[in-house]
Amino acid sequence: MRNVWTIIKKEFSRFFKDKRMVFTVILPGLMIFLVYSLMGTVMENVGKTDEDYKFTAYVTEMPENLAAAFGNGFELKEYSDAEAAKADVEAGNLDLAIFFPENFGQTLSGDVKIFYNSSKDNSNNGFITVSGLLNSLINPPFTINAADGVKFDLAGEKEWTGKMLATFMPMLMFALLASGCVAVAPEAIAGEKERGTMATMLITPIKRWQLALGKILSLACFALLSGLSSFIGVILSLPKLMGGAIDGEVATFYSAGDYFMVLGLIISVVLVIISAFSIMSTFAKSVKEAGTLISPIMIIVILLGVFAMFGSSTSTWLYVIPLMGSGLAMSAIMTFTITPLAFVLAIASNFVLAALLITAISFMFKSEKIMFNR
Amino acid sequence: MEEILKLENLRKTFKISRKQQRINRTSDTVKVAVDNLSFTAYRGEIFGLLGPNGAGKTTTLRMLATLIKPDGGNAYISGHSIISEEAEVRKNIGFLTSELKLEDFFTPNYLFDFFSELYDMEKSVRDARKRELFTKFGIDRFAEVKLANLSTGMKQKVSLVISIVHDPEFIIFDEPTNGLDVLTAKVVTDFLEELKAQGKTIILSTHIFSLVEKLCDRVGIIVDGRLIALDTLENITKENSLENTFFDLYDKTCGEKL
Ligand SMILES: Nc1ncnc2c1ncn2[C@@H]1O[C@H](COP(=O)(O)OP(=O)(O)OP(=O)(O)O)[C@@H](O)[C@H]1O
Ligand SMILES: [Mg+2]
Repeated sequence: MRNVWTIIKKEFSRFFKDKRMVFTVILPGLMIFLVYSLMGTVMENVGKTDEDYKFTAYVTEMPENLAAAFGNGFELKEYSDAEAAKADVEAGNLDLAIFFPENFGQTLSGDVKIFYNSSKDNSNNGFITVSGLLNSLINPPFTINAADGVKFDLAGEKEWTGKMLATFMPMLMFALLASGCVAVAPEAIAGEKERGTMATMLITPIKRWQLALGKILSLACFALLSGLSSFIGVILSLPKLMGGAIDGEVATFYSAGDYFMVLGLIISVVLVIISAFSIMSTFAKSVKEAGTLISPIMIIVILLGVFAMFGSSTSTWLYVIPLMGSGLAMSAIMTFTITPLAFVLAIASNFVLAALLITAISFMFKSEKIMFNR
Repeated sequence: MEEILKLENLRKTFKISRKQQRINRTSDTVKVAVDNLSFTAYRGEIFGLLGPNGAGKTTTLRMLATLIKPDGGNAYISGHSIISEEAEVRKNIGFLTSELKLEDFFTPNYLFDFFSELYDMEKSVRDARKRELFTKFGIDRFAEVKLANLSTGMKQKVSLVISIVHDPEFIIFDEPTNGLDVLTAKVVTDFLEELKAQGKTIILSTHIFSLVEKLCDRVGIIVDGRLIALDTLENITKENSLENTFFDLYDKTCGEKL
């Protein structure tokens, strides 16, 4: 028993006397708190319809006793016939086309038909709002969209698939790239430091930025390769995973330009992630410590992907935030709504941040405290 | 005589822990590893830095090799400051110390090429030099064996060769014969003499008296980071053996009878 106690004492002093170790335990919690608070604040503006937005709607047979309830939040539009209104919903120019049954005001029964487009945030939210409104105002026996064989969601297959891809592609991109980076970053810098092979290069005339850049670029390639192999795995399993909801036809929805943009985003994202991980790896004393220091950043990166799941943003300034902008841009590419400005902002912010991080690494390479801390 | 290395009050301190402070019975928060060291080495000589464990030899050499920065003073190699002209210094020196490791995964052949590229050497020059050095140290027979599979002595020879790929004028060797058998050690010391004959300047740290007696033209004896003697080997060993001179000096400066 005494020996167990001796070991426990040694382990505890190893742990608690090393300020860095304690720090790495506290860090993930702190990071999660910060990121969630940040997400909470920003998320209120994203994927939601503005408070004072008026849903556009075409309504037939509007019961007079309901008109007041619709009064504020809706802007009613006139159409020559029902089909024209539905076509506009499908095209995304009109949020809703609502058809009340005859004499709905008196009978409060029958089937209310609401056509909407789930690939558009406003239309989708409008549908939810109207259904909720009706259900809160009057008690059934009425129904909403109960008719068989009618397609009420007018989103085209292309839009619908795009919308679905938009929900998980950013997250998938971040998760796969980050796991690719985490596989190579600790070894490449902390490992070399630990084994003393870094110092051998540091006494040669190589400039610190050259060493940093050379490392980052090659690591980025490895991470891309590893990310690519997992991506192919995901793509191949996707049709099965989605139960046939997505098939090979999806690939044809996107243009060559879309693919190039995705590629550009991926490259810029991997550069940011690998640079951020490399900073931690440079700072760490050992490969093991590098792993611990990287994990909170890994969490942030993946959370940013989750964040982008909540829809593409209408405010362009969000695209300026590195990584997060790329998640949003990825979503926007998937839903065919990307603008050139948003794309350029997203990608440029990544390159700028990566350049700053690589510069920081060069300075860290010059610091004897960081390079020779044991 | 041309001055090729000049130390001016070079100083280096390291932070020490609270507990260690109590043991040392001081309120000093730092340990002075190198304490205002000044000396000069001239072209074409082998300068020996002799001192016991913990004297500050390695720390001094690491500063000269620009791995760590001094807290005070400065040093010049071929006129270039180790503080403000790191790049020039790095081009002109070769540094061998146990702290600098080579990647186990690679072969001597690959590593030689890799480092010669970092030193921006021409391919033809590199190949000729590689052939010459590999043959001299018997590395040629192991040129394509991963370092991990080489013996300690062979690894040390590869490290030595890599440290001078670029044919530097000024060579810093920290305990070059540590851990080597007499045969391998002799290969190394013979090579040092050969380098000297080629007109290179060598600064060599060691705690082995015989090595100094065998190789060095001038000696600096360093204890506790301070230089306690500096002269030609001839003068230092005039009246007594190097070993006895060292003990006498140690008694005088540290005030303790050994
Ligand atoms: N990074 C460091 N942090 C704290 N103290 C250090 C550090 N490096 C060296 N020292 C201390 O500085 C002093 C000089 O060390 P140095 O390695 O230069 O001695 P040395 O003369 O090379 O000894 P040896 O013959 O054992 O190699 C020692 O007391 C050592 O403990
Ligand atoms: Mg030493």
